[in-house]
Amino acid sequence: MARSSPSADGLRQGCPVNEHTLHRRLFLEGCLAGGAASMLSWSGLFGQSAHAEVAKKTEKRCILLWLCGAPSQFETWDPKPESIYGGPFGSIPTKLPGVHFSGLMPKCATIADKFSIVRSMKTKPGEHFQGIELLNRGAEARPPFIRPTLGSVLGQQLGHVDNPVPNFVLLDPAPHGNEFRAFKDGNWAGWLGAEYAPVRSGGEFKIPNVDRLAEISAADHHDREALRRFLTKKYENDQKSAAAASQNAVFSRVDGLMSCAPLFDLERLPEADRLRYGPGTFGQHTLMARNLVENGAPFVMVANGMTWDCHVMQHEIYQMLVPELDNVIYQLLTDLETRGLLDSTLVVMMGEFGRTPWLNASRGRDHYPNAWSLALAGCGIRPGVVVGKTDDDGAKVVDRQVDEKNLFATIFSALGIDPYAEYLLPGLPTFHRVEGHAEPIHEVLL
Amino acid sequence: MPSETAVEAKPQAVKLEPGKTINLPSAVLGLAVASDGKLLYAACLDRFVYQVDVESKQSKPLFQHRNYASGVKLLANGTQLVSAGYDGALQWFDLAAGKVIRQVDAHRFWSWKLAVSPDQKLVASVTGQYLAGSIDYVPADSPEPTVKVFDALTGEVRHAWTLRPPVLSVAFSPDSQHVAAGNLLGEVGVWNLGTGEQVAAWKTEVFTSWGYIKSHHYVGGIYGMAFSANGEELLLAGMGDMKDPMAGNGAQTWQRFAWREQPARKVDQIHAGEHGNGLMETLTVHPSGEMFVMAGRLAQGNWNAALFQAGDGKLIHSIDNKQRNIEAVFSADGRQLFLAGAVGQRGRDKEGQCPDFGRIQVMTVAS
Repeated sequence: MARSSPSADGLRQGCPVNEHTLHRRLFLEGCLAGGAASMLSWSGLFGQSAHAEVAKKTEKRCILLWLCGAPSQFETWDPKPESIYGGPFGSIPTKLPGVHFSGLMPKCATIADKFSIVRSMKTKPGEHFQGIELLNRGAEARPPFIRPTLGSVLGQQLGHVDNPVPNFVLLDPAPHGNEFRAFKDGNWAGWLGAEYAPVRSGGEFKIPNVDRLAEISAADHHDREALRRFLTKKYENDQKSAAAASQNAVFSRVDGLMSCAPLFDLERLPEADRLRYGPGTFGQHTLMARNLVENGAPFVMVANGMTWDCHVMQHEIYQMLVPELDNVIYQLLTDLETRGLLDSTLVVMMGEFGRTPWLNASRGRDHYPNAWSLALAGCGIRPGVVVGKTDDDGAKVVDRQVDEKNLFATIFSALGIDPYAEYLLPGLPTFHRVEGHAEPIHEVLL
Repeated sequence: MPSETAVEAKPQAVKLEPGKTINLPSAVLGLAVASDGKLLYAACLDRFVYQVDVESKQSKPLFQHRNYASGVKLLANGTQLVSAGYDGALQWFDLAAGKVIRQVDAHRFWSWKLAVSPDQKLVASVTGQYLAGSIDYVPADSPEPTVKVFDALTGEVRHAWTLRPPVLSVAFSPDSQHVAAGNLLGEVGVWNLGTGEQVAAWKTEVFTSWGYIKSHHYVGGIYGMAFSANGEELLLAGMGDMKDPMAGNGAQTWQRFAWREQPARKVDQIHAGEHGNGLMETLTVHPSGEMFVMAGRLAQGNWNAALFQAGDGKLIHSIDNKQRNIEAVFSADGRQLFLAGAVGQRGRDKEGQCPDFGRIQVMTVAS
């Protein structure tokens, strides 16, 4: 689907070099072996069992803690306690000398050497929908072409078809959510196709109606699915039917879900784990994300509605939200490290922009894309780095300004994916994973 | 506030007439009014407690907290102040000596609201952090008492009770025999200050929202409360249910309960057609006892401060003073109403200054 650019070899990559080499080589072999049709997916590559085994051992994953609504940088990663705009939560020292976090993040302060902070994001959209679009797709909209979201791209690049776990899982308890709902109702996978859209779960913590009927044996079920797949694939090929292709993708996904439904059942996880992640939905979903990536899901996005959009009662809500986030990040990163997964799992923690330094009349903070923060950890990320700086009030970026393109180049680079690969889209204009050859944020890359 | 001054009020014909507006550097979270109405004391978001001269509109900082100053009241016949802050501390300030004479670390978290008993013998402060306690974000139990009563003379703790956090409002009964407090979930407790026993507890659903649109957690609560003049009823203020807890657009709401009845009985609530939308943060009974004011922020509608008859609850008069009203205080003679709060904070100007955004508006209670 995407062609590596000549310059990709010159990129610094975060994970062990052999893994990247292997991935790229496998990709090319898969493309060549599978012919033009299979270039549209990984099936031509991972359908070969020997390659699949190797890939499993080297697989990379990504968890996006999607802080939708846009969290305040002042109450998280870039506190300004001495400013008149600083807010009531103060700051605390961290394990990194001279680096302070919000006073609401004492747990993260103790593991500040395990992740990196970017304090100098500056983006354009000041409204949610456009911001959500931008930070999920990595580039400004160019209608009518729909760029795939980060989850779809990573699901395609890191996933494989012999894995019953969905390649892109969205965990989100809130069915509504204003602009986020509008985004959720849209086209996640864009030109990659429906098979790279997310499987959505949340709230109930179990995917309903995917249990195999008791009267159908596993063997029967397998035989029926094989017959269905054969017939529909034949129809798809004979008729060159996109509809049949989509239907096949959906059936494959449902079939996969039937086998991996237990991964969505938190009651199967140790109670001690559930307690550690805290009682709220966000913590429980993050635990589920850990469980999913541990069991092969390449990309899991954990959202919690648009809870960070506190135009009113910001102090009243942040007193709860940020401590929950603090604990969730602490538990997740600690867990991943303990389980030996942190080096292969990229964790991205961000919203669609930041919040204003100044408080509105309702003592809330409004939208602010001019200077905001995010955090990165794990695969390919150099831990304990703070990139960029804002002024004393947090109103302007004064050092190392970066944007969504730099971020996406960083994410792809950290995962060993060519950021500048060109999409092969017959009949469409030329698109790249990251447009404009934007540089990654080198300081945070290993 | 006790007063021996003759009180003039004719509720049927009363109006609030805007007077001067006093600017302060930072949002005013708490306000005290000297008995003659000429000096004000403002607890502000910039951590300072200011003295404000109403005539000249000049203010000067008296002392400060380590975090937002959230409340200030007069004590000892107007010779002392007691203040509270988001640092969890109470401070006693001697106005003649010009210095803090006592500090008590009252809470581990913020003091949300401060009250002084009418006989000026007791000080109450309420606290509590909202931390997730369940899958649907019911607040977790507090690790410390959330309602504390202190001796006004010594600062010693006289009572400590726990109502589910965060506890946002507190009020003493007119006879100084009881204290009431209300929280995020609309739970109310009333305690006997003589025995220390809780004598009433109930929950009213109307002031609290659980996020439906954007987020799944609780928001709102009972932000203001006051006993009726005869002490038999308790008035509560806040806003009604919102689907989107971020919107701040619940109905402007008060409710009145006969708290001595078991269970407490709702006597009245804001009448249909008499409210807009927005958080009501303060409710104060006029010294005459014949009316009360509720004020806060306007989201939709046409008023953010309104007078209501104490007896039948009817709206008497309303205004929109274009600010967020956080505390409303009548002068002792009832002729003036001081509405303290803020407008929106702004970025620095060309000179690098942050424009004043604290506001105190002086209203005449006119017949």
